[in-house]
Amino acid sequence: MVFCDVYATLVLSSKNRMVNVVMPLPIFYLFFNFGAATDILAVICLKSEDGVIMLKLPKQELMSLISELRRLGFEVIAPTRSNETVRLAALSSPSDLETDYIRIINSPRDFLLPSREPLFRYRSTATVTSYGLKIRFPTVEGPCPVTIVPEYTPPKVKIAFFGIHPCMANSIRYLDKVMLSEPADPYYKARREDMFVAVLECEEGDQYCLCKTVESYKVPEGYADLMIRRGGDGFLVRSRSKRGDELLASLKRGEVAGKPKDLVPRLKEEYAFDRTDEAGIDERDASEYVGACTLCASCTVTCPTCYCSDIEDKFSLMDPSNVERSRVRMSCQRRCYSMIAGGTTFLNTKEARFKWRLKHKFPFSERAYQLVGCVGCGNCIAFCPARIDFRKFLGRRVA
Amino acid sequence: METKTLRLTLINWRADFLPGQFVQLLLPGVGEAPFCITSSPSDPKHIELTILRRGLVTTASQYIRPGDAVGIRGPLGRPFPLDRFHGRDVLLVATGIGIAALRSLILYILENRKKFKEVTLLYGARFPEDLVYRDEIKSWAEHVKVMVTLSKATEQWSGLRGRVTDHLKEVSLHKDLVAVVCGSPAVMESITNELIKYGLSSENIYVSLERHMKCGIGKCARCLIPGGLLVCKDGPVFSASEISIKAIGE
Ligand SMILES: Cc1cc2nc3c(=O)[nH]c(=O)nc-3n(C[C@H](O)[C@H](O)[C@H](O)COP(=O)(O)OP(=O)(O)OC[C@H]3O[C@@H](n4cnc5c(N)ncnc54)[C@H](O)[C@@H]3O)c2cc1C
Ligand code: SF4
Ligand code: SF4
Ligand code: FES
Repeated sequence: MVFCDVYATLVLSSKNRMVNVVMPLPIFYLFFNFGAATDILAVICLKSEDGVIMLKLPKQELMSLISELRRLGFEVIAPTRSNETVRLAALSSPSDLETDYIRIINSPRDFLLPSREPLFRYRSTATVTSYGLKIRFPTVEGPCPVTIVPEYTPPKVKIAFFGIHPCMANSIRYLDKVMLSEPADPYYKARREDMFVAVLECEEGDQYCLCKTVESYKVPEGYADLMIRRGGDGFLVRSRSKRGDELLASLKRGEVAGKPKDLVPRLKEEYAFDRTDEAGIDERDASEYVGACTLCASCTVTCPTCYCSDIEDKFSLMDPSNVERSRVRMSCQRRCYSMIAGGTTFLNTKEARFKWRLKHKFPFSERAYQLVGCVGCGNCIAFCPARIDFRKFLGRRVA
Repeated sequence: METKTLRLTLINWRADFLPGQFVQLLLPGVGEAPFCITSSPSDPKHIELTILRRGLVTTASQYIRPGDAVGIRGPLGRPFPLDRFHGRDVLLVATGIGIAALRSLILYILENRKKFKEVTLLYGARFPEDLVYRDEIKSWAEHVKVMVTLSKATEQWSGLRGRVTDHLKEVSLHKDLVAVVCGSPAVMESITNELIKYGLSSENIYVSLERHMKCGIGKCARCLIPGGLLVCKDGPVFSASEISIKAIGE
């Protein structure tokens, strides 16, 4: 339309019917100013011809979005602070939301793909006698004493990540590539399906962030329902999905704050490296980097995209017939990751393991999914007790 | 080497598998481990596994008695590309328990003998008692050329002595031959290199790789190999041209 490039969608209630009305912004203000004959339920979203525009909210209203998500049945997972550490946790109160942080120690992975996940239980025929544990295998004759009751219940949860940074939203995209490729993992899928994501954009990173190198400060389509950024003494919010529109519709107030410009975070250091060069990683000498490595595996524990796992069949000696199979997180930094029967250990030096992690993040993932496995959060550097900085090994500093 | 071959009857299902594929064997209360299917694909109601005693599952499986119930997940993985073997000379090289990965293929070849030209099995072990399928091998020898060599032979041993690589020169190796190599990683790497030296192209050399597999369906990253391939999904059978030869033994 010629006279205006900003439109508002209103939900009006008229004789108990809900009506959606799209109108140019000046007319929208008329409704506000003169009070329409109908009740304005909410401003759902404001659209300009070339995209969405933002709403300005005080923090109180931001927290009301959390309450609304909880009312809709979501478990809201958001950054919370205890002492110096900020971590994602299920919010018990919206006021626990921490919005002033750069780095979280855990990641959405820990909720979508928990570090220990029971897959199913089954009953075996093991018994404990005074002579010790006796495992008799079940037989097929007669009533089969083993019941593999695959108590298979994909988790029923609706998770809303609220206030995660763009790198973390990107990590979900990588996990999707792995876990939802055929055959899709039913446990992950069940958690993932109803997920809601409200991204808190970053203005500034710390000395470990590398999101500009891997371009993960942008959030691709489908990985954010809401985009939130700081603005003045409040927050600027825009919707990026239908569910985001619906959530904003619950707001009581909010003022239009113009169109968003791309927000590129300021980083302290910037690096450039080749993401596909496997041979280059092999050839380079990593001894100066891994010398101080303590093999603690923090790099893989805090990485939002590390997913590798082990399978455990476990029972208690008190009830040995009741077996639980779980998937537990593994790490390529551990020796048993790559040991096969016969004793061959493919990754048998610190250097081989350090390089393996980088090969998996970059060339291997590029090849398998056309997507790098590093989302640039910098956790593997920040939480490394020896501060081993893979960016320096892989590339060169450019800023 | 302590090995045991289990013959499993599938209840209410059939496994349509091809030589080279594997299954995950579940022993209730003990755990799960991957094993190559060693029986012939012409019988989808049965699966045979040959298991070398090593750790938890492999030891427990030595105590299985007829009639016991176990669980199977599979068939998993990519089989040998049989159509690429048809009408050609085939060399099968196995060391140690590696022979298990080849038995299904050998049985397939015996049942479809006319589809293949000259077939040679070169099988190496250390001690005479390490030889798996000792009695069966005699009947295989009626249809294909079999060479068994022992690196730690006793005095009574009348067959070949030394490592398999010592006997490669006795096989007529030529460009059009397809070779399949199974054994420990280091041995597979050295045999592959040896075969390339004899003029075989890496596309015609196949290996079956072993990694510490857990899920078998591409979700646990335990079977990643250099190049970013997954042994459980992209393999376990690879031609030496698809992977770096160092990756075989690394
Ligand atoms: C595709 C494939 C086919 C195989 N085929 C055969 C076969 O036909 N016959 C045979 O005897 N063996 C075969 N193996 C090896 C067999 O899987 C291991 O011997 C077995 O997993 C060891 O299990 P365990 O519980 O007895 O050992 P554990 O007590 O768990 O450990 C003993 C040793 O085995 C290694 N190991 C444990 N789990 C695995 C695993 N899932 N994969 C590989 N190594 C592991 C450990 O690192 C350790 O070195 C195959 C392996 C693969 C990957
Ligand atoms: S590799 Fe390091 S920087 Fe990249 S996503 Fe993992 S923890 Fe973050
Ligand atoms: S192999 Fe290493 S880098 Fe890859 S997912 Fe596992 S722990 Fe992370
Ligand atoms: S065995 Fe899990 S990815 Fe291959």
